Amino acid sequence: MRLLKFTSLFLLLSFSTRFAIADVAEGEKLFTANCTSCHAINEKVVGPALKDVHKRREATWLIKWIKNSQALIKSGDATAVALYKENNESIMTSFENLSDGQLASIVEYIKAESEKPAAAAIANVAGGDATTGTAQTAQDGFYNSTTFWGLSIIAIILFVIVFILFSIRKVVDQLYAQKFPEAVAEEVEQTISWKERPTSVRYKLFKKHPVVGTIVVILAFTVVAGLVGFDYGNKEVGVQQGYAPTQPINYSHELHAGKYKINCLYCHSGADKSKQATIPSASTCMNCHMHVTASKNYDGKVSPEIQKIYNAVGWDADKKAYDPTKPQTPIKWVRIHNLPDLAYFNHAQHVKVGKVECQACHGPIETMKVVSQQSSLQMGWCINCHREAKVDVANNDYYQKLHDDLKAQGKSYATVANVGGLECGKCHY
Amino acid sequence: MENKNTYWKGLEELNNDPKFLKAKRNEFAEGIPLEEVLTEQDGELTSNRRDFLKYFGFSVSAVALAACNKAPVKNVIPYIVKPENITPGIPNWYATTNPETGASILVKTREGRPVKIEGNPESPIFKGGASAVEHASILGLYDNERLKAPQSEGNEVDWNTLDSKIKTGLASAKNIRLVSGTVNSPSTKKAIAEFTTKYPNTKHITYEAVSNSAMIEANAQSFGKAIVPGYRFDKAKVIVSFGADFLGTWISPVEFTKQWVTNRKVGTAGNGNKEMSRHIQFESNLSLTGSNADMRFPIKPSAEGVVLISLYNKLAAMAGAPTLSGAQNIELALNSVENTAKELWAAKGASLVVSGSNNLDNQLLVNAINSLLGNIGTTVDLDNYSNQKYSNDATFEAFVTEMNNGGVDAVIFMNSNPAYSYFNVKRFEDGLKKVALTVSTNTTVDETSALCKFYAPDNHYLESWGDAEPKAGYYALIQPTISPVFNTREAPESLLRWAGNANDYYTFVKANWSAMGVNEATWNKSLHDGFMYAGEKTAQSYKNNVLPTSAVNAAYQAYTSSKDKIEISLYTKVGLGDGRNANNPWLQELPDPISKICWDNYAAIGKVTADQLGVKDGDVVSISTKGFTIESIPVLVQPGQANNTVSIAVGYGRTRGGKVAKYVGKNAFGLASFNKTIGYNTADVTVTKVSGEYELAQTQTHHTIEGRDIIREASLQEFIKDPKAGNHKHAHIISLWDERDSKGHRWAMAVDMNACTGCGSCVVSCSAENNVPVVGRKEVLNSREMHWIRIDRYYSFKDKDGKALTREAGLAGNMLKGKDEGLIDETTNFENVKVAFQPMMCQHCGHAPCETVCPVLATVHSSEGLNHMAYNRCVGTRYCANNCPYKVRRFNWFKYRENDKFDFYMNNDLGRMVINPDVTVRSRGVMEKCSFCIQRVQAGKLQAKVEGRNLKDGDVKTACQQSCPSNAIIFGDINDSNSEIAKLFKNERSYVLLEEYNVQPSVSYMTKIRNVDETIAGTHAGHGAEHKEEKHEEKAHEHAAHS
Repeated sequence: MRLLKFTSLFLLLSFSTRFAIADVAEGEKLFTANCTSCHAINEKVVGPALKDVHKRREATWLIKWIKNSQALIKSGDATAVALYKENNESIMTSFENLSDGQLASIVEYIKAESEKPAAAAIANVAGGDATTGTAQTAQDGFYNSTTFWGLSIIAIILFVIVFILFSIRKVVDQLYAQKFPEAVAEEVEQTISWKERPTSVRYKLFKKHPVVGTIVVILAFTVVAGLVGFDYGNKEVGVQQGYAPTQPINYSHELHAGKYKINCLYCHSGADKSKQATIPSASTCMNCHMHVTASKNYDGKVSPEIQKIYNAVGWDADKKAYDPTKPQTPIKWVRIHNLPDLAYFNHAQHVKVGKVECQACHGPIETMKVVSQQSSLQMGWCINCHREAKVDVANNDYYQKLHDDLKAQGKSYATVANVGGLECGKCHY
Repeated sequence: MENKNTYWKGLEELNNDPKFLKAKRNEFAEGIPLEEVLTEQDGELTSNRRDFLKYFGFSVSAVALAACNKAPVKNVIPYIVKPENITPGIPNWYATTNPETGASILVKTREGRPVKIEGNPESPIFKGGASAVEHASILGLYDNERLKAPQSEGNEVDWNTLDSKIKTGLASAKNIRLVSGTVNSPSTKKAIAEFTTKYPNTKHITYEAVSNSAMIEANAQSFGKAIVPGYRFDKAKVIVSFGADFLGTWISPVEFTKQWVTNRKVGTAGNGNKEMSRHIQFESNLSLTGSNADMRFPIKPSAEGVVLISLYNKLAAMAGAPTLSGAQNIELALNSVENTAKELWAAKGASLVVSGSNNLDNQLLVNAINSLLGNIGTTVDLDNYSNQKYSNDATFEAFVTEMNNGGVDAVIFMNSNPAYSYFNVKRFEDGLKKVALTVSTNTTVDETSALCKFYAPDNHYLESWGDAEPKAGYYALIQPTISPVFNTREAPESLLRWAGNANDYYTFVKANWSAMGVNEATWNKSLHDGFMYAGEKTAQSYKNNVLPTSAVNAAYQAYTSSKDKIEISLYTKVGLGDGRNANNPWLQELPDPISKICWDNYAAIGKVTADQLGVKDGDVVSISTKGFTIESIPVLVQPGQANNTVSIAVGYGRTRGGKVAKYVGKNAFGLASFNKTIGYNTADVTVTKVSGEYELAQTQTHHTIEGRDIIREASLQEFIKDPKAGNHKHAHIISLWDERDSKGHRWAMAVDMNACTGCGSCVVSCSAENNVPVVGRKEVLNSREMHWIRIDRYYSFKDKDGKALTREAGLAGNMLKGKDEGLIDETTNFENVKVAFQPMMCQHCGHAPCETVCPVLATVHSSEGLNHMAYNRCVGTRYCANNCPYKVRRFNWFKYRENDKFDFYMNNDLGRMVINPDVTVRSRGVMEKCSFCIQRVQAGKLQAKVEGRNLKDGDVKTACQQSCPSNAIIFGDINDSNSEIAKLFKNERSYVLLEEYNVQPSVSYMTKIRNVDETIAGTHAGHGAEHKEEKHEEKAHEHAAHS
């Protein structure tokens, strides 16, 4: 009986948890898409840290606030006004487009996050899914400078040991020769040069069939030189895989996209509508960095990297205002992904229509402190993907006719290559 | 029945000129520059093995060294504060107005720089059309030779210094003159008024190099309204034009083309219309309009008066109105007048007579004729009048006299260059020297500015605020699409400054509009639309007050006195106009629609007159009149040119036009003269052959058609009887290849030869859209022009009675000789030719001959029916060009950008701003050709995909289609059965070129229908035996069209 009760309770709990999870999952999505540019759970970004916000405020109040904080402030709500003043009167974006249900999910997600133990929270923050999460932890645990130095010292010690062993062996050989000179002479006689030993491979190649030998040597040389040359040529003609130049500002995608989970499109706003993904203007940075100065880490001073943004836009960090007397100087970022002019590439086509993840071409960008070019950007690389990638015919009316044709043929999908994605003129014009 | 007309592209072809025959046999029209590479200047082969080894060795090491360069570090510099409405990679469109033509246009900007101009489809007047001039005007913005800052006596100064100097000068001046081109901007007018209030001794003089002064004066006398009427070619069933090139250059060509074409398109999809206007043209030089007329009668300019008088008298006789006496004395060889009068009378109230003459008598006669026909208030609209090309010759003439008498002490020139275009430049210069204060607001140091002390350079219109009222009640706004590139300022703003008004011009324009009763919402809407128009007023009928009896004697005098003399007539070309666009390389390279000559003007002489003068193509003549001589100008024997006339285009021979315009052609304005108005023709002239030869850069005879059945045409009557008239297929179609499977889109184009006027707008539009380089005169002479679309012009004969001359009839009547001896007989009537235009671009053949011969697969077919060209794959064998039956492929002989030998616009950073970032700039050694604007196709598809919807018909428009003022080009997806193009492909008039090759072109042409009372296509009888086979053929064709 007790067992039955316990089981039913467990079932009930698990069900309720599952419902909660459903909400949390949606909440997480919405939170990443809409909130992360200004809020984090455990620390203050632009807006306050949201941990335990469900305990601090009523759910209905929260929904009103998120939907239109200004309206709430104007209505004279005491909590709202206090909060507004507390945060330097910076205006929170209104989210009238989100439904009450969606907002409830967000709150649910915050609740779930708040209740997680701290360590788990960090692990979760680090990556969208489990794999990147572990990778992140692993990196934090292993690839740090302590391990690097430790391993280096061990390596040096091993080298020293090897050296000592060689020296010992040399000494032993000398002693042996002194003691048994005959034995050594015999050994020398026995070791005939390969030139007189027909069984040796070298003899067969170079003495018996010198032509074959020459060919083999030339071939080997060609192959090695070719490989080296190809690699060299690749780099020289502009294949810059692995290219990770130093940028004028030491901007970390790991911090912004990885830790704070700011949506890629928040900064690269052209990616889903334009040919270019666009590098954000300095004013976009200022949306957050007007408030975020990372001064905690710099003895109360503005982080020198963030100061570079301020210098670019002419922002006075002390007065917290734009200083019109300061010159505005654009930031000269170094372009990493250089597609040749003869190839046309459109981000919107891939991001919006093809629903390709940014990471598919740019690699695990949310783990990169310094961005490097992950893909070769060579034509073969493009083509390979076009051969494999499936066109989402079912969810886009543009492909309606194609979808009907496929259904009639009993096929379930078409690849990009099937719809002409390998034709020259699709990218070269 | 096959069309048996003989078509020819030029006299060389007709004469079997040895050079032409030689060229015809060549594999490539262009020469192969081997000699150039291998020889020294003396023409001897001097390179040898050692040189070869030296060069070879050098190139190997050079390549090796070059390969050592690391890929350069590229920076990407985002905005500091991104403007809200700019997303890099997405074009922004602005509606504005071209003040020169008044046309409403849309400007495409990318990352804040204008890259393309197109017509504004929402404009009820211009209806989305844009002329070559409008398309090309964008290059003026990126002209490196514009004045970069204000100047005072040769030194760059700041605006304050300049303003104070000018103000001081103006304050002490007793007689100030403001000389401007047509001003139809309400705000500029107001600025001038403010200026005049401040300086009351100011007179405003409007001056146009090519003037309509006589017409304005005539309307003042006849109807009491000194205006240019609003003509309505769309309401006219019979159009008679006396030398008015209304489709090419006269007043408002885009507007008129849009009107004219509404009655010219017959039997196209969605338009079962089988009615067509009849267009009759009397003119001396073969103009664009004349070449499109149903009937064209060559007359000397001096005969226009007598023809008008006899036309008037014939109509008056029918109407029972008083005739002009004295006219019966004039014997006219033209029985055409009788027929014209009958046609006009039959279409009373729906007919239109216009004249391009700047002769008051002629314009009064035209007014009298239109009144007699009841056209005032219908096709001649005096209430919705035009404000374009409004000038007054007499006041300008008086101004020059005044200057010479020392009666002017300050002149301001605004958008006006009389030192180039006035017929007596010396007199003008002498006068101007006596003026103390001379200010020019022109954008460059042109001929007039060079004589001025102060330069207050105007903005380019794409940098300016402003407005215009090209037609009464049609208020168009001009808005900047880029901040001023240089330190320049709107000219009206300069006037305001000097008048003591400190407002910037934007504030002034807006205030002026709000004074006109425009509220904020309407202002915003007008800014968005580009114009504000309450619609047409109801046109009233006006009584004609003048019967020009005095014109009779003058006309008789003019006719008889110059009867046997050679007469000069000046005309403007579609591209260069009055010369203000002479520095525009796109317009210089745009071949003349008729002669197909670019980069030059020439003396166009009829065959008979040329024989009399003993000159031929390539000869040079000198032309002199009282006090003015053109020392040498090349001769072009021009079919269709009236006998005893020589026509020369103005707008050439700029001495200070800029690097492009400099010394291109000869300035012919000096041949004009003044008598009440400026006259552009004179019989008081001597034409003599001088020594020397000069080759004109002509694109026409570069490729030949070998007498193939390329032009198909029929008369309207034939068409009404049988819509397929002139278009019966005889080709026996066999295919070597498998049919292509095309499930998605299949792009195709239809060209209505009935609508195409040959104006060349598409050519410039295409150049702008596709980064087509300008190659210059020398390279055009080498047949290396790069235009992706060309407009082929074919002549065919008419006999003396105006009937089409077939080859058989010509041979039987001894008008043509046998082929071997050349085709021309002395009796052939060279005055009387028919013209057909055929835009020619890559046909995107289903079974493309170019694709099969490319050794590197650089040109391949797409699943959407396009013939792709991968430039980076091309190694330049030119096999494809050789194998192309349509000769539409172009080879890049040089790197045209960043190359001092081609110093046009791609040679400096500013000029390259106009390059379309979505299209590759091709380099040397690769083949290129029309891509059907694949970048637009891809953009259209992407837009649909992003929005998750089906692609609609009309979502994708090619550059040529978008710009066409006569809607002659239609593009679309023929796999979409509801699309216009799918319907057009099934149309009876539709045919493909060189069908017998069965290359399955994706471009279909539509038979040209001429509204003439004669047989063109011939009857279909007597073909019984072939009928069966023919049906089979048609089926095959239909199949081809559908696949």
